Order: sequence, then structure tokens, then C-alpha cells
Amino acid sequence: MSVGLNPLATLKRYELVARVLRSNILSGRLPRGFVLKEGSIADKLQTSRAPVHSALQALEEEGRIHRLAGQGYLVGPAVAGQEPLRDSIRKITLEIAPDIAEALATRGTWQHFYEKIEREVAASLIFGEFRIIEAVLAEYLGVSRTVARDILGRLHERGLIRKSQSSHWTAGPLTARDLRERFELRAILEPEALRLAASHIDYAGIAAISAAMPRNGPVDDEELEEALFEGSVARAPNAELVHVIRKARFLPLAANRALIELGLPRNTQAPEEYRALLDLIARRRIDAAAEELRAHLHLMAGKSLARLKIVSVLGRSFVVAPYLAEI
Amino acid sequence: MTTLGRPAIRQATRTLRVLGTDITLIEPIRAHAEADLGFRLEFDVLDFQNCERKAATHAETYDVYDQCFHNLDIVWFWGALQPVDTQRIVDWDMVSPLTREGGINKFASPGFGDTPVSRLYVQPSDLLGPTPSRHVSMLPTVHNFDSFGFDRAAFGDATRGQASWSWLLSPDARGQIALVDEPAIGLLDAALAVEASGELCFADLGNLSVAEIDALMAVLEDRRRQGYFQCLWRTSEDAARLAREGRVTVQSMWSPAYGELGARTEDFIEAVPKEGYRAWHGGLSLSRHVQGAQLDMAYEYLNWWLSGCAGAIMARRGYYMSVPERVRQAVSPQEWTYWYEGGEAQVDLPGAFGQTVVRAGNRRPGGAYWNRARNIAVWNTTMDEHNYAARAWARFSQAVREGGACL
Repeated sequence: MSVGLNPLATLKRYELVARVLRSNILSGRLPRGFVLKEGSIADKLQTSRAPVHSALQALEEEGRIHRLAGQGYLVGPAVAGQEPLRDSIRKITLEIAPDIAEALATRGTWQHFYEKIEREVAASLIFGEFRIIEAVLAEYLGVSRTVARDILGRLHERGLIRKSQSSHWTAGPLTARDLRERFELRAILEPEALRLAASHIDYAGIAAISAAMPRNGPVDDEELEEALFEGSVARAPNAELVHVIRKARFLPLAANRALIELGLPRNTQAPEEYRALLDLIARRRIDAAAEELRAHLHLMAGKSLARLKIVSVLGRSFVVAPYLAEI
Repeated sequence: MTTLGRPAIRQATRTLRVLGTDITLIEPIRAHAEADLGFRLEFDVLDFQNCERKAATHAETYDVYDQCFHNLDIVWFWGALQPVDTQRIVDWDMVSPLTREGGINKFASPGFGDTPVSRLYVQPSDLLGPTPSRHVSMLPTVHNFDSFGFDRAAFGDATRGQASWSWLLSPDARGQIALVDEPAIGLLDAALAVEASGELCFADLGNLSVAEIDALMAVLEDRRRQGYFQCLWRTSEDAARLAREGRVTVQSMWSPAYGELGARTEDFIEAVPKEGYRAWHGGLSLSRHVQGAQLDMAYEYLNWWLSGCAGAIMARRGYYMSVPERVRQAVSPQEWTYWYEGGEAQVDLPGAFGQTVVRAGNRRPGGAYWNRARNIAVWNTTMDEHNYAARAWARFSQAVREGGACL
């Protein structure tokens, strides 16, 4: 694999620690009765104590270790007469799979920077086509190439960047075609997902959104879209389907946030635009709601295309990040 | 404040601020309107792109916005404007079906691109569409059916409707071609030329896809490298100058420029392209900030535009008005015959600034208004991929300038 997101990078840090300990217990490198102490494990794995604490609790629940009053944990189930094996974990060579080691090294770091980079890339692709230079990105953030790669992997996964034939990461230009295709995809998938979600929808939540809307005056569509989606479509019992929809939603959303940062007025809608849809869902008329949702997406696609056109009057009014090179 | 001070201050603040371009915001219009309306007019005259940008992003700097329907895709959707209430437009019923219904009659082909009617009526959710409603986005005013100008010596006397947009990329004119430097307009002139020459064929001339824009720009870039383009121009005056100085044999050109050609008037003429015209429609909109007495003044100004006087001044620049009947009452019969009916000028005719722009014995190319209005190939349009196209055009424009060709 040349570049890409380490799948383990999305695991919680305590899970990574638990994996390391679990595999070393199974292999016998951490023998039965070995005393596990939070601080020394944290040192060994170069992490903070909190994830180690959670990892030890998880392993205890699995029955792989047990607590010894006031002294930490002992490897293996509690057995009468077991002598604690007090040795320094530092002397033990733990076996750590390379992907876990990498994930341990980068977890947290990439996430820390991710949102900033996502914003910058989303803003740039409105203005044209850019190459992303990994080495400069790493330098820009003061992180390793591995961390930079993980950030790019995540951007790729979310559909913000792609890989050119010559294996360069490129972004943009965001075109009306991109937006139209994503809305088309959503119009095909979301009504069906809504039907699938019927028995999982947060009906009270949807009714509450409707009740909380102002009678007149514009409403902020990003907030409403989000609440509507999470309360209904996202609850479809098909993770893959929801994943695909989330991906299709992401690019227009990221672009829109970038536009607002560049000074475009927030998109607002008349409350009626949402009330019919919310009420149909709240009243459990799911087939009718699915049709309304399709019509709603059609309208949102039009608004989204209109907003993209508007961008043409913005000059290059932002400073392109140094790791982006215009093509 | 003393009571005596009040009237003076009120008098001083009775000023209406109008943002627009030199198509309409000219001194004779300002002078006539001020005299008729009794308040001061402040014209902010910008080039097309800057006008559009300012209208969208600085709505607080003007009361009335005077540009085109295709600009609404930017300015309206930015949220800079408020709807015009047609019940406050005295002559609304006299406004031509070209805008109110989408064509001068049901047999006229509407042409590709966004017809003004598709951007005219305010729909629910503040969208614009062709379904009639009481409120409109823009009061339709001046419009025209544009083509290009050419040198008779180079292309022959093609007054019989054999001119073709393909001439804008003719190898015979290499080095002596100019296009208007505006992405929504120049790009369409170029697209018409490329399609007319048979080099490319677009699925929808009024809404090019990314691939089609790429292909079009590749053709233009190829011609640029071969030195086809003398330059790109931004104002009608610049176009007239290029023709006067003999630097071009064919170019994008707008109506007023034909009256400013001096000694070259007989040689450099307006084409009647067999593929049809590139049409555009202007109008007046209200800034979202205007209210109260200022809004009343704005409506007075809008109504004045339909009263005939403005239409007469615009006719002398070769532009048509949305209320032809009012214009007929305001111009001389000879002017009406030449400008609207396409008949022979019986006498020398004046332009908007008083100078002679038409010699007796000439006819307007393309004939009567109603003939021209039935022969629309495409409307000036802000395409779906406008953002992409505008940036591609900007790169082309810069390359032409850097290539040494400039005004």
C-alpha cells in the first residue's frame, strides 16, 4: 500500500493499547501473574495513562487479567496462591504489530489537524484544481509524513481529494457536475433509506425539531438538514447505505462551509420548506415523507448549484495554503 | 435641529443611487431623469464583472441596480435584492411578451440559454422562475440581439444573411480578431463561433458541460498560440477604437460601437449571422436595503424608465426597450422606421449624445425588431458551470494579455 488511511487510526486509543496487551498475553510474552501497572505501560507505549486505564478495565472484563488490591492487575484469571510476578515491563520486548505501532504513533495527532486541513482544502477546490504536496503538508503541520498521509487518507475517504494517474493527490475543481451527481445519488438513496429506517426513526426528536422552528422568518438550513438527517435517514439499519449517503452529503457541506467563511451569506430557507417534510415523518407517513424528501433534495440541489455559480465573483480572496499547488 | 433646517436637509438627501454599466447609465439618461423626477441621481458606472460583484457583495452602496437578467444568478442568489412589486409599475401590462411570456409570440424560438422569463418571477422560497406572480426580480428594460462586426473588405458584402459566427475564428482574419472579455458573453461568442465552424458540437449551447468547456477552451488556446487574437476588449468604446484603428477585421461588437466608427462606418458593419443572435436583456432591480421614501423614489425611477423618454435615448444607441409602444411615441417617425422597423433612414439620425450615427439611406442590418427577436440562437447566460468557465476564461484572458496583445 503506497499511501492511505491506516484503518486502525480510527480506533480509540485504549483499544489499541488493549490489542497490544491482549496479543502479548496470548503469546505468553506477558506471563500469567505478571503485574501490570498503568504508569509503566503508559511509558512503554508512549501514551498517556487514561487509555491504559481503560484498556486494563476492558481486559479485566474479558477475564484476561484480574485486579490485585492496591497493586494493579495480574495477568490471567484470579487463582488462589498466585504469586505476583513483579518484573519491570521495560525489560520485556512487547510484540507490537506494525500497523498498531503506526496507529499508536499517529492516533490523536492526525485528528488534531484534520479539521483545519479539511477546511483549507474544501475552500481551495472551489477556486480550481490543486496538487497537494505531502512533504510540505507535513512540514506545514510539523508532523511526520505518516501523519500527513493519514490526514490525506481521510480526505480521500470523504471524497475531497483524489489520486491522479501519476499518484499525486489532487483536489478540485468543484464543478456543478460534482454537486449535481451527489444530489442525484442522494435523491436515489435517501428516500429508500428513510423507508428502511421507519421503525428506527427518532419520532419524538423529529416532532421536536418541527415544533422548535420559527413560524415565520428564515431558518438555517445546515442545522436543520443535520438534525433531520441524524434523526431519520441515518437511522436506517444498513451501515453501508448510510455510509454512502454520508459521503455524498459531505462534499457539498464542506464547500458550503467554506463559502460562508469566504463571506457568502448563509443559505436560509423558508420554514415551510421543512415543515411539510418533518410533519410527514413525525406522523409516520413514511412513503409520503420519502416522496417529499426527494422533492426537497431537488430543491436543495438547485440552491446548491446557484450558490456555486455565485462563487465566480469572488476573486482569489483567500490565501492558498502552502501545501497546495495550483495546476 | 431647528425647524428651518429641515427642508434644506431633506432636499439635500433626495438622491437616488444607481449602480450599473455604461450600457444604460449615460449622461443623457441622468439629465432627463433628473429633470423629470425632481431628485438627484448618482450613477455608479462599472464594467460588467465589477458591477455584478459590487451588486452582490455591497448591496448597501446602491438603491437601484441596473444590469442584466443573466446577472441575477449571481446577485439575486446572493440575497442582495428585494422583489419589485409589479402593482407599483404603472405600465406593467405594456411590457413586451418577450420577457413576460418568454418570446414575442408563441412561434418564436426562445433560443438556448436562460430566457429572461426564466429569471423574472419570484417564486416561493425566493427562487426565480417563469410562473407569473405579482413580484418580479427585475423590471425588464433595454435589450438587444448581438452579433459581431466585420470588415467588408475582408469578408465581402455579406448583408444577405450569409455571415456566420465562424468568422470569429476565420484563418483569414488571424491576428485581427477580438472578443469581448467577459466570461458569460465572450465565451458564448466563442462557443457560437466554434460550433458554427463545425469544430465542436454542444449538447446545449446555453449550458455547457465541464468537458465541453474544456474542449472550447482548448480550441481557443490553440488559436491564441497561433496568434489569432489581436486582443480582448472590455468596453464598447474600446471595440469601436479597435475597428477605427484598423486593428481588427472581425470582432465581438455591440450596437453603440457601430455609431462611433467615423470614417470606417461604411466598411465595418454589423453581421446578420445565419445561426442567429446572442440576445441579452437588461433591467432594473431594487437593493434589499431600500425602504420608505427612498423606495418610493426608486419606484418613480423604475416607472420613468418605461415612460418612453429612456427608450428613445436607448434606441439612439441601437438598444430596444421592453415597451416599444411608449418608445414609438417618444421618437421621430424616421427614427422609429430605422431603429425598430428596419426601414431606410430618410434623414441623418442622431445618437444618444446628439452626434449623427446613421446616414440617410442606410438600413439597420437584420431588419425589423420583430424579425431579429425571432432569430435568437442563445441568451446571455450564467451557466451551471459558470464558476468553472469563468476561471477558465480568466486564464485565457490573461494568456492573451501576456502574449503581448492588448489595447
